[in-house]
This record gives sequence, structure tokens and C-alpha cells, in this order.
Amino acid sequence: MSPATSAAAAVSVMAVAPQAYLVVGTILFAIGLAGALLKRNALSIFLSIELMMNAVNLLFLAYARMRGDAAGQMVVFFVIAIAAAEAAIGLAIFVALFRARQTVDVDKINFLKW
Amino acid sequence: MNGELLVFAAASAVAIVSALAMLFQKTPVRSVLSLVVTFFALAVLSVLLAAPFIAALQVIVYAGAILVLFLFVIMLLNLTQEAAEKETRVVHRFLSVMGVLALGGILVGVTWKAGNPPVPITTSPNAIPVLGVDGEIPLLGRLLFTDYLLPFEALSVLLLLAVVGALLLSKRRFE
Repeated sequence: MSPATSAAAAVSVMAVAPQAYLVVGTILFAIGLAGALLKRNALSIFLSIELMMNAVNLLFLAYARMRGDAAGQMVVFFVIAIAAAEAAIGLAIFVALFRARQTVDVDKINFLKW
Repeated sequence: MNGELLVFAAASAVAIVSALAMLFQKTPVRSVLSLVVTFFALAVLSVLLAAPFIAALQVIVYAGAILVLFLFVIMLLNLTQEAAEKETRVVHRFLSVMGVLALGGILVGVTWKAGNPPVPITTSPNAIPVLGVDGEIPLLGRLLFTDYLLPFEALSVLLLLAVVGALLLSKRRFE
């Protein structure tokens, strides 16, 4: 099967409306945003940010499927790899912070605020 | 074709419900476990979107590595006693919920309106093959070492930096 026909087939076989994927992705993004704003534990905030990144990944995949182009999937690949690096650094920061302050509550870690 | 709709509905319901569970759980460990369920459901959605390789990455890297790292750190820090403290930020909570509802509503509306499929790039050499015909991994591998070679190499440097940085941060004493 040539790329052209397979791409046309890939676009046409979608039984679920592509917008449904976009809506699911944006709802998950909003939930992640709520977590990032409402949680007080720095680790939970970090976790919510991971959820937001995954929601955006879903949007990338949905658009890649709509367009029949693999570029969106490559972006998701890079996002996942960067998320791994980010998680390693972020968690190391929290461990160092906990050692210095004995807390990861963002209301108590406000020494950069004033 | 109804099967796809069924799987989509089930997977998105599981994803959204467990994401909400993540939001409302008081202890971080339970939040992480809820998010594992969300990520598995997102992997199912990825398969539906003709991206089985990304789905595998999702399960292996996100659910398998990153969230296990979270669990590890949460248990290392022993955060259980902080969960019981009472919530005092009433104004902050109200404004956050309002902001999230407004932004979420706008985003859902915009993506629903603007989400009509654009013209597919049927002539592109990067076109995604149909599920099960040839697989997308050869295509992604070829792209990774041709069009995306520079980002790929930069990524390897970034991962090395992350390893060194994490080591440095956990070794040093902050006062």
C-alpha cells in the first residue's frame, strides 16, 4: 500500500469524531490545571503538570491522526523524553528542598516570595 | 465501527474519572496511583489514534518509570502527616476554580469549533500508515534519524544533563 492511499485510509476510517479526542484532551488539561492551582503539596502540583503534558500529547496525537502526518507523533515522542528528564530534575529538587526545610508544602516554601 | 466508539467512550470515561480522583485524593500516593490509571487509559486512546508505539512509550516511560519515581520519592519523604492539615486559602481556591472552569470552557469550545479535520497531507512521505498494515515504527525510526536528527541528538545531551543535575542536586547540602 502506498503512503498516499494509506494516509487517506487512516483519515477515513475514524469511527469516532476527532473532536471527541480533542475535548477529552482539553478536559484532562483543565483537570491538571485545577490540580496545579489547588494542591498544596509540591509533588502533587508536579503530578498535575504531568497530567497537563499528557493531555496535550493526546491533542498532538489527535491532530496527527486527522492530518495523516507523523510529525505530531514525533513531537509526542520528544515530549515524553523531556518529561522523563524533567521528572528526574524536579524530584531531585524536591528531595533537596525537603532536606533543607523538612516540608514540601508550597505555602511554607515562600522564601522567594517577598 | 461501533467497537471503536465503545472503546473510546470507556477509555475516556476512565481517564477523566481517574484524573478527577487524582484531583480529589488527599494523600499523594493515592494521587499517583489514580494517575497511573489515567495514563493507561490515555495509552488506549493513543492506540485508537493509530499510534501504538506512542502508547507503548506512554505505558513504559510514564506509567512505568516516571510515576514509579514519584512513588519512590513520596515514600522516601514520608509525606503522610502533611495531608491532614486544614485548607485555609478560601479566596485562592475560589479564584482557582473559577479560572479553571472559564479556561477549560473556552478551550473545549475552541477545540470543538476549530477541530474540523484539515485537509490531510495524503502526498506526504510522513503519512501515518493504517494500523496493522506495516506498522508506524519504521516510519518513526526513519524520521528520527533524518528530519529530527538534531532534536534527537540534543535530547540525548539533555538526558545526560538531567542525570548529572539530579546527582548534583541530591549530593549537595543546602542551608
